[in-house]
Amino acid sequence: MARLKKFIAAVGLLRESPVGMIGVGLVLFWVVIALIVGVLPLRDPLAQSGGDLLKPALTLAKDGGHYWLGTDDRGRDILSRLFFGSRLVLFWSSLATVIAYSVGMLMGVTAGYRGGWWDEAISFIGNVFLAFPQMVLFIVILSQLGSDSPAGHWLAKMGFSATWVKGTTIVLAVMFATAPQVARIVRGLVLDLKTRDYVAAAEVRGEGALYIMLVELLPNARGPLIVDACLRLGYVTIAIAALGFLGLGLPPPDPDWGKMIADVRGFGALAANAMIWPALAISSLVLGLNLMADGLREIALRD
Amino acid sequence: MLAIAARRLVSMLLIMFVISVLLFLFFEGDKLNLAARVLGPYSPMTGRLAWLEHNGYNRPLITRYLAWIYGFMRGDWNQSAQFDAPVFDFLLPRLKNTAILGACVFVLTVAISLVLGVFSGIAEASKRDRAITVISVLTTSVPEFASATFLVAIFVYWLDWLPGSSSFNNGFSWREMILPVATLVIYNFGYYTRMTRASMAEVMNSQYIRTAVLKGLPYHQVIIRHALRNALIAPFTVMILQLNYLLSGVVVTEVFFAYDGYGKALYDAAMFGDVYLILAGAMIAVVVAVVSQFISDVGYTQLNPRIRFS
Amino acid sequence: MSDTEHKLIGTLKQQLAEKTIGRRDFLRFATLLGLGAPAAYEFANRIDGGIAPAAYADDLPKGGIIRIAQRVPKLDNPHTFSWIYDSNCVRQVCGYLTRTGADNITRPDLASSWEVSDDLKTWTFHMNPKATWHKGGAFTAEHAAWNIKHCLDPAVGSSVIGLMKGYMLKDVDTGKLDDKGAKVMTTELWDANAIEVKDPSTLVLHLQEPQVAVPEHFFHYPFLMLDPAENGVFAMGSNGTGSFEMTVLEVGRKCEFKRIADRPGQVDELHFVDLGDNPSAVAAALASKQVDGIFQGNIEQYDIYKGMAHTDIHSIVTAQTAVARMRSDSKPFDNPAVRKAVRLATDCEKTLQIAHKGVGSAAEHHHVAPVHPDYFKLPPMPRDVEGAKKLLADAGFKDGIDIEINCKPDPSWEQAAVEAMAEQWKEAGIRAKINVLPSNKFWEVWETVPFGFTEWTHRPLGFMVLALAYRTGVPWNESAYSNKEFDDLLTKAEGTVDVKARSEILGKLEKIMQEDGPIAQPLWRSVFAAYDKRVKGFNIHPTLYIFGEDLAIEKA
Repeated sequence: MARLKKFIAAVGLLRESPVGMIGVGLVLFWVVIALIVGVLPLRDPLAQSGGDLLKPALTLAKDGGHYWLGTDDRGRDILSRLFFGSRLVLFWSSLATVIAYSVGMLMGVTAGYRGGWWDEAISFIGNVFLAFPQMVLFIVILSQLGSDSPAGHWLAKMGFSATWVKGTTIVLAVMFATAPQVARIVRGLVLDLKTRDYVAAAEVRGEGALYIMLVELLPNARGPLIVDACLRLGYVTIAIAALGFLGLGLPPPDPDWGKMIADVRGFGALAANAMIWPALAISSLVLGLNLMADGLREIALRD
Repeated sequence: MLAIAARRLVSMLLIMFVISVLLFLFFEGDKLNLAARVLGPYSPMTGRLAWLEHNGYNRPLITRYLAWIYGFMRGDWNQSAQFDAPVFDFLLPRLKNTAILGACVFVLTVAISLVLGVFSGIAEASKRDRAITVISVLTTSVPEFASATFLVAIFVYWLDWLPGSSSFNNGFSWREMILPVATLVIYNFGYYTRMTRASMAEVMNSQYIRTAVLKGLPYHQVIIRHALRNALIAPFTVMILQLNYLLSGVVVTEVFFAYDGYGKALYDAAMFGDVYLILAGAMIAVVVAVVSQFISDVGYTQLNPRIRFS
Repeated sequence: MSDTEHKLIGTLKQQLAEKTIGRRDFLRFATLLGLGAPAAYEFANRIDGGIAPAAYADDLPKGGIIRIAQRVPKLDNPHTFSWIYDSNCVRQVCGYLTRTGADNITRPDLASSWEVSDDLKTWTFHMNPKATWHKGGAFTAEHAAWNIKHCLDPAVGSSVIGLMKGYMLKDVDTGKLDDKGAKVMTTELWDANAIEVKDPSTLVLHLQEPQVAVPEHFFHYPFLMLDPAENGVFAMGSNGTGSFEMTVLEVGRKCEFKRIADRPGQVDELHFVDLGDNPSAVAAALASKQVDGIFQGNIEQYDIYKGMAHTDIHSIVTAQTAVARMRSDSKPFDNPAVRKAVRLATDCEKTLQIAHKGVGSAAEHHHVAPVHPDYFKLPPMPRDVEGAKKLLADAGFKDGIDIEINCKPDPSWEQAAVEAMAEQWKEAGIRAKINVLPSNKFWEVWETVPFGFTEWTHRPLGFMVLALAYRTGVPWNESAYSNKEFDDLLTKAEGTVDVKARSEILGKLEKIMQEDGPIAQPLWRSVFAAYDKRVKGFNIHPTLYIFGEDLAIEKA
C-alpha cells in the first residue's frame, strides 16, 4: 500500500512538468493500446489480401472497411499490425531492459561496495563485453542460442514456442550489450554512496553485505537510475528493431515494429508508407520515454 | 598518472587476449561446414576431410590458436576462404574506406551534436531545447535502413542528383560518399546531442555557474569561459568511447549502399562463415574498442581538473 | 504493315497480353494468319520477354563497355560451381558442348552435331571443327573427354555427378567406415570405356541406362570446357574457346573481360560489378546509371525497375520454383493423406500474388512446368479446405496438426511465400510455425529437416527435376520419397524420345505427385533482369546465363 502511494506521489510530481506529462501520455497511449487491442474493432493482423498489396493510408479494402494506415507487402493491415505489435514491443523491450538492469545493478553494486578484487574482476568482465564487437556478439548468440542450436532445440523441447526461443535470444543480446554500461553507472553511484553515514550505521549494526547492497545502497541510487532506465528502455526498443533487421528478431508472422520495417525494405521507395508508420511508432514510444526522463530530471533538480 | 596509464595498458592487453581466445573458441567449431563451403556443396566427405588436414585445421586447438595469434601480430592473417586472398591484403583497403567514412561521419556528428547539444542544454526546458530533443530522438529512433531508403527515394529516384550505390568502382568519389555519410550522421547525431545536452544542463545548474552569473559576469563569457570547457569533457570522452560502436554501426549502411568497406566485408564473411576473415575483422574491432577505451579514460583523467588534482 | 494485318491478330495479341492464350499458341496461330515469324516473336517477346530471333550482328553497335551488376565470387574451380553467377564469369572465356536456348531447345555449340542409337545408350558427338583455343590449337574430342571425366571424378565434387550418375557411374565401396560405422561410398565410371574418343573430332558416350537428356546435361552450368593443361583451375590468363579473356579479377569487387579481336561479339569489354547482397543497392545503381544492366532483379523491386525510364525489363516464365517438401519418413508426413491435405490447403494463385507479385504462374504441386516441352496438362487441382480437413480427420488428426516449416530469408519471396501458405493452411487446421534460418544454416539442414521450403532451378525437360529430387535414393532426394511405380515410370520417360509419348508418361507421374507426392508447390517464377535501353542483343535466358558475345551497347 505504502508503495502504491509513493508511486502515485511520484506520478503526481510529474504533473508539475508539462513535458513529462506529454511523455507519460505517449507511453501510456501505447500501454493502453497494448492492453485493450484485443477488443478493438481491428482487422486480423495476420490476414493477407492478395489484391491489396502496399496500399497507401485510407484505402478502401476489397472486402469493405478501410485500411486506415494502408497495407504492407503481403496485404496485411498496418494499423492492426502496429497495435498488436505494441504488445510484443512493450513486453520484450521491458523484459530485456529489466533483466539487463538487474544484472547490471548487481554487477555495479557489488563492484562498488566490495571494491578490491571484486571490483577489478567485475570491471574487467564488463570491459570485455564492452569491447566485444556487437555484430560478432549477435552472430555468436544466434549460432549458439538460436532456434536451430542445441540450446534452442532444448528450449523448444521444454515446450517454449518459437517466439520465446527467439525472444530469449533478444533478451540475451540486449543484456550483454547493456548490463556492463549499467554496471558502470551504478558502480560510480555506489562509490559515492558508501561513504554515507547510514551505510556505516548498518555496518556497525552488523548487517550482511548483501543486505547493505540491496536495502541501503540500491534504493538510494534510484533517482538517477530511473532517469537512465527510461532512456535505456527507449534505446533497447531501437536495438530490438535493429536485431529484427539482422534476422535476429521475433519469428514471422509476429508484427514486431522493427521487423515490419525490415520486411518491406526491399521495396525501397514503393514501401515508404509501409515503413513510415512503424518508424513513427518506435519514435513516439522512444520520444515518450525520453520526455518522461527529462521531466523526472527537471523535477528532481527543483527540490 | 603514469601508473594509472600503465595499469590501464595491462588491463587493455589482457582484455584483448581474453577476447581473442573467446573469438577463436566460438569460430573453431564450424570447420567442417567451412570445408563444405570452400569445396562446394557437392564435394565428397573424403575431400572435405583432406582439405581440413591439408590446411592445418586438424592441429590441436592450442597450437592453432598460438599459430593464429602469432601470425596475426606479424600481419599474417591467413587466407580468406571466400575471397581467395590473404585476409590482410583483402581487409586493408576496405579498412581504409571505412576509416574515410568513419572520419567524415565522426567529424560531422561531433560538430552537429556539440552545437545542438550546447544550445539545448544552455536553456533547459526552453522551446529550443524541446525542439532539438524531439528532432534528435526522432532521427535516432529511425533505423538506418529506413532513413537510407528515404534518402535514396528522394535523391536518387526522384531528384536524380546522387549515385545510388557507393562501390567506388571507378575510384574514389566524393559524390558516392554523400548518401552513406548522411545516413550515418542522421542516425548518430541524436544520441550525442542528448549526451551533450545532459552534460551542459548539469554544468549550467552547478553552483559555480550560478555564482558566476550572480556575480554579474556577462552571460556569453560565463558560457564560453566556464561552462563549455567543463561541459564538453564528458560528452567528448564518451564520443571517443563510442568509436567502436561506429565501427559495428557501419555494417548496415555499408551493405545498403554496397560501400566497399570493413562492414560489408564482415557481413559477407559472416554470411559465408569465412572464419579467418571474421576473426580478423572482430580483432580489429576489439583493438579499436580497447584503444578508444584507453584514450577515453586517460583523456578524461587529464581533462577533468577534479580528478587530475585529487 | 499493321493496317494489312489479319483482323484476328489483334484479338490474339490482346489474348496473349491478358494471358488467356499461351505464347506457343499465339506464335502458331499468328504465323498461320500471316504474321511474319520475326514480327510474331517480337510481339510475344514484348509481352513475356522470350527469345527474339537473332538480330543481325551488322545492325548492332560496335565497341564500348557493358557493366553488369552481379556478385563476383572466386572462380578457381569452375567444375564445382554451385551458382549461376560464378559460371556467368567463366562462360565469357570458356564454352559448353551444347547450348539450350531460352525456348528450351538444345542446339550445337562446341559439339557441332550428335547422333544417338535407337536404344538411347550410345551417343556420338562430333566436335565443331571451327572451335579453337585462345592459345592456339583446335578443340578436340580428347579435351571434351578430359572435362567429362574431371567432372565425374568424385574427388572433384561437381554437381554434374548428380545429373549423370544414373547412366555413367556406379557406386563403389571404399572399404572404409565413417565415425558412425556406415560404409563410405564413392563412385566410378560404370565401364572403363564409357567415355570413348573415337578420333580427334568424335566422342562416343556409352551409357548403362537409356538417357534422352544427354545434350541438355552438357549445358549444366559447371560443365564448362576447360583447357586440360590447366587441370581444372581457372585464373587470370586462363585458356578458353570463347570470345573473351579475363583481364581483371577482384573477388567480391569486380571482374573484367576483354574481347579478343578476331572473335565474335560487339563490345570491347564486359565488366561484372559486385554490389553485395542488397537488392536495393543494385536497383539504385542501375537507376543512377552506374551499371548498364543487372544479373537478376529481385521481385520486390519489380515496380521500381518498371518505373525507370531508361531501362527495359526482360522477363521470362521459367521452371524455377521452390517447393514445400515433406520428408516422407518422418511424422506426420509419412502419411500420404497429410501430404495431400497440405496441398489442398494451399492457394497457389493467391500465394503467387502475394509472394511473387503475380510475376510467374501458379503451379500444380507436381514440379513439371508448362514451359517444359513434355508437360502434360492435368485437370486443375484447386484449393479445397474442406477436403483437406476431411483427409486429416480420416488420417486420425481430428484437431489438425502442428508442424514447423524451415525456410531461408533470401531471396525474400521464399519467406513471403511460406508466410502466405502458413496463413492459408491455418484454415484447414494445419498450424505451421515458421523457422527462418540464415541461408548458410539452411543449406546445412535442407535435406534433413522434416518440412522445408527449398528452391529448385530451371531445367529444360520436365522429367529432369523429378529424377533429381524424387527418385528413390538419389542424393538430392530431400523428401526421402520412395515409390516403385513412380521410379519405373520415370525410367520409362527418360528412355522415350518422342515428346508426345513422353508427355503421356509425365501425365501419370504428375498425377502421382498430386495424389501421393511429397511436395506442395505454389508457383513458377518468372525471372527478370533490367538493362539500359542502350544495351542491345540481350535475350534473357531462363537460367540467367549471360553470353557476352551477344551483347552490344550504343554510345551514350
